[in-house]
Amino acid sequence: MAAPCVSCGGTLSYRFFLVGRVSLARRQGLWQTAAAGLQTGARSQILRLIHTTVVMTKKSVPASRRETYTEDFIKKQIEEFNIGKRHLANMMGEDPETFTQEDIDRAIVYLFPSGLFEKRARPIMKHPEQIFPKQRAIQWGEDGRPFHFLFYTGKQSYYSLMHEVYGKLLQIEKRKDLLPEKREMKDLIGSRWLIKEELEEMLVEKLSDQDYMQFIRLLEKLLTLQCEPAEEEFVHKFRRSVAIQSKKQLIEPVQYDEQGRAFSASEGKRKTAKAEALVYEHGSGRITVNGADYLLYFPITQDREQLMFPFHFLDRLGKHDVTCTVSGGGRSAQAGAIRLAMAKALCSFVTEDEVEWMRQAGLLTTDPRVRERKKPGQEGARRKFTWKKR
Amino acid sequence: MAAPALKALLGWSGLAPGFLRTVSPLLGQTQVRWSRYGAEFRDPLIDKEHYRKSMAELTEEEKYDQELKKTQLIKAAPATKTSSVFADPVISKFTNMMMKGGNKVLARSLMNQTLESVKRKQFEKYHAASGEEQATIERNPYTIFRQALKNCEPVIGLVPILRGGHFYQVPVPLADRRRRFLAMKWMITECRKNKHRRTLMPEKLSHELLQAFHNQGPVIKRKHEMHKMAEANRALAHYRWW
Repeated sequence: MAAPCVSCGGTLSYRFFLVGRVSLARRQGLWQTAAAGLQTGARSQILRLIHTTVVMTKKSVPASRRETYTEDFIKKQIEEFNIGKRHLANMMGEDPETFTQEDIDRAIVYLFPSGLFEKRARPIMKHPEQIFPKQRAIQWGEDGRPFHFLFYTGKQSYYSLMHEVYGKLLQIEKRKDLLPEKREMKDLIGSRWLIKEELEEMLVEKLSDQDYMQFIRLLEKLLTLQCEPAEEEFVHKFRRSVAIQSKKQLIEPVQYDEQGRAFSASEGKRKTAKAEALVYEHGSGRITVNGADYLLYFPITQDREQLMFPFHFLDRLGKHDVTCTVSGGGRSAQAGAIRLAMAKALCSFVTEDEVEWMRQAGLLTTDPRVRERKKPGQEGARRKFTWKKR
Repeated sequence: MAAPALKALLGWSGLAPGFLRTVSPLLGQTQVRWSRYGAEFRDPLIDKEHYRKSMAELTEEEKYDQELKKTQLIKAAPATKTSSVFADPVISKFTNMMMKGGNKVLARSLMNQTLESVKRKQFEKYHAASGEEQATIERNPYTIFRQALKNCEPVIGLVPILRGGHFYQVPVPLADRRRRFLAMKWMITECRKNKHRRTLMPEKLSHELLQAFHNQGPVIKRKHEMHKMAEANRALAHYRWW
């Protein structure tokens, strides 16, 4: 889905390189013919002009066709993978029976350390199903007749699926006329519809956006009508669960210092600033930053407002003491880093609902925005050089 | 109920830059801008009262929204926003527009000085006035500010439209945010341009705000001129196609 900028730049430069080579070759070829012409000019009546060019045509890039993998080939690959997995387990001194994919990944990272930045270029060892793209077997028999009745639509799996779903809809509508009953709304929040890419993967077929939307509309219509458990299950095959975000929030455990005071520690960062905050459970609202009082460390009101934000949001303004250390970044980045650290530390003293409120107010997310790099050919990250007509 | 189900899309890893040449299934449009947040991140809501509401007070839709939000990723709150009672979105926007070269400290201090000066002037008037007039004098600088900007908002604007090789100024109804923007922009331009070299920004701005509050002054005049131009070019209204 996401096409990284790096690859774009890469292909551009490759094309440029190719063009360069072509022009060079053609020039060489021309010189060769000219030289041959000069040499044989005197004896042109006896000898014929010999044209020899070193590189005639541009190096033809073969058209990349989808490589077809036979079923036997895939089966062999799977066998080899399983044997290889057992060998790897033996090498690492682990039990081959309980060697999972995560263990494999760790073993490969250990045995073949790679300094490459692109994660997909590093050595991997995965099940062949994940490496070789899913392909369809030949869709027609020896006599040339296709097996599926919708083969000539071009998207047989998609249309057969739509056919099935629509059939179910008609059945339900027929039943509805006979027994009208009230329907309760199902809980749709914990799950989402398949996205287009997932559907394409499932059907092993390319779909257009309109096709996908039509399919989802049909399924939603099916959901609004009353259906039997079998049909519900059928519809739920096309739904994936969505994680509840608040559960992912890591809540720091409460620690106790020498005097027995309860506190919680956590870190936060923003741009290049890193902060660590210790929030004491009982206090009078004093905040110490790098040994100094916050009023002296942050003379600007906006920064102090940021420090106060998590406490004011939970109505706990004068109830906690905070000691924090911060380094790097500028004044606003340091304030943001401390705010994040304090909010995270506060999670340990606060109810789950309040943690969720803080998350929805944006207090528990690390701000991913960092300074954008300057690009060559431009003055800054976005600013271009002044355009000159000549 | 059907539409919200489509909103919950796949949660990609939060830190992957959301660079998209994808087509949004809802609108069929291609996006080209990118941001460090992925496409699925939602804006944070910083309103204490909203979260303190108990379950009984919520309507069906609000309950559904609340449940839905639990599954969504939320962006970090910006450094300019707090839950403080003193945080005013109009004032923040105006401060940002006044800011030059990223000097937020200076812009904010100018804003504070302006509000202080408005308050002082109003209090002077208050103490100098008699009993009945005192009731009519508004002393809260925030209400004066908001009301002044509202008075400066134009209702209709002009847009240059290209027809037959010529640009015609066509009268067009303005969106709310465009009106607010124009009001603030005119106010700031007025205070920067038409003043004596030695007068400071807070002084001039407080003077203009008070004038605008009473529907007088150069900014209101500019708004009326815009309305008159729109009225004069009424015949060209047919050039608008939206």
